[in-house]
Amino acid sequence: MIKLENVTKEYPGGTTALKNASADIAKGEFVFLVGASGSGKSTFLRLLNKQEDPSEGRIFVAGKDVSKLSSWKVPLLRRNIGCIFQDFKLLPNRTVGENVSFALEVIGRPRHVIKNQVPAICDLVGLGEMVDKYPEQLSGGEQQRVSIARAFVNRPLILLADEPTGNLDPQTAIGIMRLLDRINKTGTTVVMATHDRGIVDTMRRRVIGLSAAEIVRDQARGVYE
Amino acid sequence: MALRIDYIAKETGNNLIRNPSLTLATVLTVAVSLALLGAALVIQRGVDGLNTRFEDDVEFIIWLNPDAQPEQQQAIDRALADSPQIASYRYITPEETYAEFQEYFKDSPSVLESVTPEQLPTSFRVVPEVPELDVVEALGQEFRQLPGVRDVDFAGEVIKRVNEFTRVASNIMLGAALASASASALLMYNSIRTALFARRREIEVMRLVGATNTFIRVPFMLEGLVQGIVGAGVSTLAVFGLNRVIRNLLEQTTFQLFDSFVLESSELASVALVLLAAGAGIGFVGSGIAITRYLDA
Repeated sequence: MIKLENVTKEYPGGTTALKNASADIAKGEFVFLVGASGSGKSTFLRLLNKQEDPSEGRIFVAGKDVSKLSSWKVPLLRRNIGCIFQDFKLLPNRTVGENVSFALEVIGRPRHVIKNQVPAICDLVGLGEMVDKYPEQLSGGEQQRVSIARAFVNRPLILLADEPTGNLDPQTAIGIMRLLDRINKTGTTVVMATHDRGIVDTMRRRVIGLSAAEIVRDQARGVYE
Repeated sequence: MALRIDYIAKETGNNLIRNPSLTLATVLTVAVSLALLGAALVIQRGVDGLNTRFEDDVEFIIWLNPDAQPEQQQAIDRALADSPQIASYRYITPEETYAEFQEYFKDSPSVLESVTPEQLPTSFRVVPEVPELDVVEALGQEFRQLPGVRDVDFAGEVIKRVNEFTRVASNIMLGAALASASASALLMYNSIRTALFARRREIEVMRLVGATNTFIRVPFMLEGLVQGIVGAGVSTLAVFGLNRVIRNLLEQTTFQLFDSFVLESSELASVALVLLAAGAGIGFVGSGIAITRYLDA
């Protein structure tokens, strides 16, 4: 599903965010990216949906060489990759339902599809009662559920999560992880960058460790350290 | 991918009302610059019409001295008849001259009373073969030198002066129109840039979930187009109004020379089309530059 071949990413100004990284992630896997701040976790994720291009090396997503993808095909790639973030990136002037349906509207899904899928996905993430509320009326955990609903409503093949529990208390974080686990069980590949030792150690999934822009370990049922 | 019309209409509308003062300023500047352009066009068309009309029966008038001898008058008559450059001419008798005079001064009885037919200079009205201003002028000069001729009047002199004046006036207006069109394109650019900034979160999300560039851009392009076209609409109304004012002014005078400044509705329609196209152009350029600069894929 995802394959990195000797990928190096240097930012203008000479910062190297990723050095000669190679990894192979199969369909349906759940992978933690761990490492200190600035170790290259976010760059790893941004390369996968072509928010960044690698300086060297090749990246395959769903069988396609992302580095060779022409710019007009990038939106099509991104429709297959959901994203969630530490800061949720919800639109404050839209309700929960509108935030979720926005993701479908802007890729031109017909209205009847939106009408069916939005309530279904809101139920799935446990926000069925809250579709008409605005983000500021929700707790952090609820907001992250909205962002998961938005990322998953289009049934992407891959879900990228950049420290999704970073702003949440441990109890709420566990709820979010249960939800991501459920999504993973539907066959969606999940790649999650995290600092949360407890979560990594409890879930015992594949762990890719990054340090100073290099992949320093890759363990099948790993722990945080 | 199908662009959803309702979504695009909604987004464009939201963009337009999000910052009403900036939208209004943009629309008004577009309107002012295009109204200037429209006025310049109306004037130019008026002058064109004036020139065509004048060339149909361009004429000069040879005024005789009131005390000119009959022989002198006959000599002029003969010269006119013999000249190959004269298409036709007509002698205006003292009675005809007096009738015209009466018509002209019908509101001033005191002037009428003080003048008798004998005191008025009679004249020849001349239609030359070649109705070009320079030729007509040279011809008129020849007759001016004949004995018994008091003066030669060219309708052309008036026309020339009008031409010169309107050319300068319409050039100034075109210059002002160009300057304010640039100003309105810059305002448009700023207004779209502001809209892009106000919607940066939406745009970020749209990118992440895979909206195409076209889809992201279209509402902003349309916002610029709508502002440009609405501005053009306002300026079109202003030009129609100007035309109405000119017509009313002309109806109050008997001076026929400037009738061509009242445009036919077909001419007005073509001016309106030019203005709408220019408005759309300003919108397209202003929003296009903003989008290319601030929405790089």
